Amino acid sequence: MPKDLSSFINRICAEFPDQVVTVRRPIDPNAFEVTAILQHLDDRGQYPMALFEQPLNLLGEPAEFPLVSNIFGTRERCALALDMPPEQCKLPLSLEYARREREQIPPVVIDRAEAPVKQVVLRGEEVDIRRLPIVRHFEGDLSAVITMAAVMKDPDTGVYDVSFVKGFPKGARKAGVSIHSPHLERILAKYEQRGEPAPYVHILGHHPAFFLGALALTPYDSDDYATIGSFLGEPLRLVPSETWGEKFLVPADAELLIEGEIPPGERTVVDPFGEVTRLYQAQCLRPVLNVTALTYRRGAWYQDIFSGHQGHWNLGAIPKEGSLYNALQKRFGNIEAVHLPYSGCGRLACYISIHKTREGQGKEVAIAALPESWTFEVIIVVDADIDVFNERDVLWAVYTYMDPLRDLDIIHNFTKNVFTSAFQGQRILIDATRPLDVAFPEKFRMPPEVMQRIKLDEWIEWGARPARERQPVSRSEV
Amino acid sequence: MARIFWVTCPKCQGRFYCHYHDLRHTDWLLLCPYCQHRFHQDDSPRIDE
Repeated sequence: MPKDLSSFINRICAEFPDQVVTVRRPIDPNAFEVTAILQHLDDRGQYPMALFEQPLNLLGEPAEFPLVSNIFGTRERCALALDMPPEQCKLPLSLEYARREREQIPPVVIDRAEAPVKQVVLRGEEVDIRRLPIVRHFEGDLSAVITMAAVMKDPDTGVYDVSFVKGFPKGARKAGVSIHSPHLERILAKYEQRGEPAPYVHILGHHPAFFLGALALTPYDSDDYATIGSFLGEPLRLVPSETWGEKFLVPADAELLIEGEIPPGERTVVDPFGEVTRLYQAQCLRPVLNVTALTYRRGAWYQDIFSGHQGHWNLGAIPKEGSLYNALQKRFGNIEAVHLPYSGCGRLACYISIHKTREGQGKEVAIAALPESWTFEVIIVVDADIDVFNERDVLWAVYTYMDPLRDLDIIHNFTKNVFTSAFQGQRILIDATRPLDVAFPEKFRMPPEVMQRIKLDEWIEWGARPARERQPVSRSEV
Repeated sequence: MARIFWVTCPKCQGRFYCHYHDLRHTDWLLLCPYCQHRFHQDDSPRIDE
């Protein structure tokens, strides 16, 4: 059975019901009601996969499609997406991601009769994207926005690129598309230079491994369909599109596909939209999409990302951690772990722990990590006994080990981060490792053998025993 | 983030910001995210750069 979104949802519901919430009553995604539910959950520290059985569409009618969001809300679910045990969701997940990123499984083309995404096909004036339950996320957003990913094809090499995008509906068959992936921008530029419309397919819903694979940091000329196969653990099934036939192949097991063309040179206003850093992207000009076809499977789920929250941050952190660990480990050999924390939206901050053997290594590692991502603003290096997935411990190391005059560096005149207006091209490197070249206090610990011997469950009972049940202890028993 | 400028919708007084290099001093009509009113930036009662 090929992997798809429904199979993943069913698995989570069956095996991890405490990771699912369901809204059964009608709900209006365009009136912020879906994101209000998700925000309430987030405020409680809860990040379940959220299923909305009766969403309205943009026309205010009951939508044909149920809605799912927050699939990537926990690292545990991201691990499950790659068929890993949820308890391996920290560095092991990132390392597994980095391993799959280097491999490919070529896709296979199947007959349209076998392709679930071809069960319903709408073309031309039959299409109305406003019939989708598109989510309006935040108060200042320009409109409801289609999230998830899109695929384009290089006109020269024929290589496919899949990247996350945003779509701003402008009518039944029109949208503004916000493309911010360098690879998709490069493909679009080629078409615009030729004066030709660019084929574009928005992929709304697939197995989460599909979208994790789409985030792999591969070279421009690498076929994303083959990389995605590596993440699925099986060949990605493809089928000819409605608009271009065999000239443009699309994922056969997707939930919904919006096919369209981007006319050269035409622009429209898009944004504001609350983005990954919890700041609105400024209103700007972006290409136009003329929709040509809408295809979907019967019972398709409409998938959305809760922007600027944990799911969005996991999609930035997990792909980067593994590749950064491998790059640093290859060079230094003493890396313990790497983590891009939620406080940095999975992009802006990086914590690295090392087995430090001589003074200065912390700074060297921080300097080496800096060019690995243009989104890093702060890099903190700590000792191996500090858990980089525990922010309290990382900050403890900063507050107790760092000498700002020696261990804090501001690097000037880097490129400005497109996600924030802070830092303005500066970067901060912090060596929060314990100094080795001066007499310095030592962190306390429990004796390891006692910690090993005392098994908590053998000693404690939750709750206090009422006073009248307690037996006096004689001095001889003490 | 690129340089921005804040505008005020002349219809609903909602405030939002725009990409300076894309939109400032152009004839593009801005689109208010609160009331969907389209307006030229010169009609904004207040612009902050």
